[in-house]
Amino acid sequence: MSEKPHIVKSYEEQLQLLKDTIVKMGTGVEKQLENTIQSLVKKDISLAEKSIKDDELTDKYEINIEEQVVNLIALRQPMAIDLRETVVALKVSSDLERIGDLAKNISKRLTKIGTDLPNDITKNFEIAGLKASKQVNAVLNSYLHRAKDTAENVWNSDEEIDQMTNSNMEAAVKHLEKNKNDIQKVTQLLFMLKNIERIGDHATNIAEQVYFLITGDYLEGDRPKG
Amino acid sequence: MSKIKAENVNVYYGSKQALFDVSIDIAEKEVTALIGPSGCGKSTFLRCLNRMNDVIEICKVEGSIKMDNLELNSRKLDVVRLRENVGMVFQKPNPFPKTIYENVAYGPTIHGIAQSKEEMDQIVETSLKKAALWNEVKDRLDEIGTGLSGGQQQRLCIARAISVSPEVILMDEPCSALDPIATAQIEELIDDLKKEVTIVIVTHSMSQAARVSQKTGFFHLGKLIEFGPTDKIFKNPDNQQTQDYITGRFG
Repeated sequence: MSEKPHIVKSYEEQLQLLKDTIVKMGTGVEKQLENTIQSLVKKDISLAEKSIKDDELTDKYEINIEEQVVNLIALRQPMAIDLRETVVALKVSSDLERIGDLAKNISKRLTKIGTDLPNDITKNFEIAGLKASKQVNAVLNSYLHRAKDTAENVWNSDEEIDQMTNSNMEAAVKHLEKNKNDIQKVTQLLFMLKNIERIGDHATNIAEQVYFLITGDYLEGDRPKG
Repeated sequence: MSKIKAENVNVYYGSKQALFDVSIDIAEKEVTALIGPSGCGKSTFLRCLNRMNDVIEICKVEGSIKMDNLELNSRKLDVVRLRENVGMVFQKPNPFPKTIYENVAYGPTIHGIAQSKEEMDQIVETSLKKAALWNEVKDRLDEIGTGLSGGQQQRLCIARAISVSPEVILMDEPCSALDPIATAQIEELIDDLKKEVTIVIVTHSMSQAARVSQKTGFFHLGKLIEFGPTDKIFKNPDNQQTQDYITGRFG
């Protein structure tokens, strides 16, 4: 349904502000994730440090969105599409905060172990990381443009990241068997790979919320799993 | 189970048509809320259910409204008997300028329901208890009903309506003149009454419709636009006009 503006302008403005804040938070989280991945690609640790620093802003956005949602519920009692808009904003902000946290965690591990890492594993990490970034970008676009199909695509393609994570972990273990001295670095990399997989899961959570926002229904069936 | 079944109801005030082909199933022992902007026909429809439109000379009602297979729109229908069975509570509390006791005893008296003073006392007490007013008025039943607070007066009107054991109670914006506490008391009462009675309530408060009803019907320009489970109407209505209305995007 295409929506007319509310009769009460201040209500319309509050809902618009909520949507805008989600988009701003999402853009920030995307940038955080990009800096994290590029830190490894470009072997530039300052990008990882920037991602860690920027997580503070992500956390602030989450608190701000929570305040906006509580205010809307208390003062406006939103109904129908407005109710879904409000509830979805709360859940999406929570998933975005987790994505930011996971990016920060990867960055922290990178600052510990440095960027001089086994090439075969980092290549895998880059590919999975870029795929997860793409998923986050796509799901945020689906939120911004109310694109149900895009949300469904994100939901359906999470299993690719899951499969990548499984094979990357196997590859990391194989590398370790041959290069026992890399144990510290590879252990950190295993956690980093797992974090990428979790980022994919959060993007999928957001896809479910966007689908609910647009249709009022829940995506049916089990999530495709790798 | 359906208590009232309206089919293709059209209502005219002179040459002006107020309702267009309204068909609705009102379930037994449930609360059905009717919402919609002023002049949309919801009160007109409510008044069809106990033939209150009969008192408006230029009003003409067409179509079928059946309560338990009894055609309410039939000329042969005993309207007094119908109104005993379908009680009504209005926007503004309107107790009679009589004592609290007399207000509640009025219906049973004119319908000859009580056979003795003891029986009448019992009906008055039970009705006031069901209306959650007994504890507040039991020591002053001989005081004038209009001296009570607004919320108490409205509960007195509900006690008066239920004193004749109706199967259906119609409420036309029963809380619009009440404060939030009195409103909550009426809503609690509605919750309680629906165990025994079918309730149809017209309200301008979206949140009240959402709180008290199981089914909601949205009227606009004399048409029933959407009717369905209340949670569906307020979470994800099918019709754009319904959504525009309940989210404040109308006009």
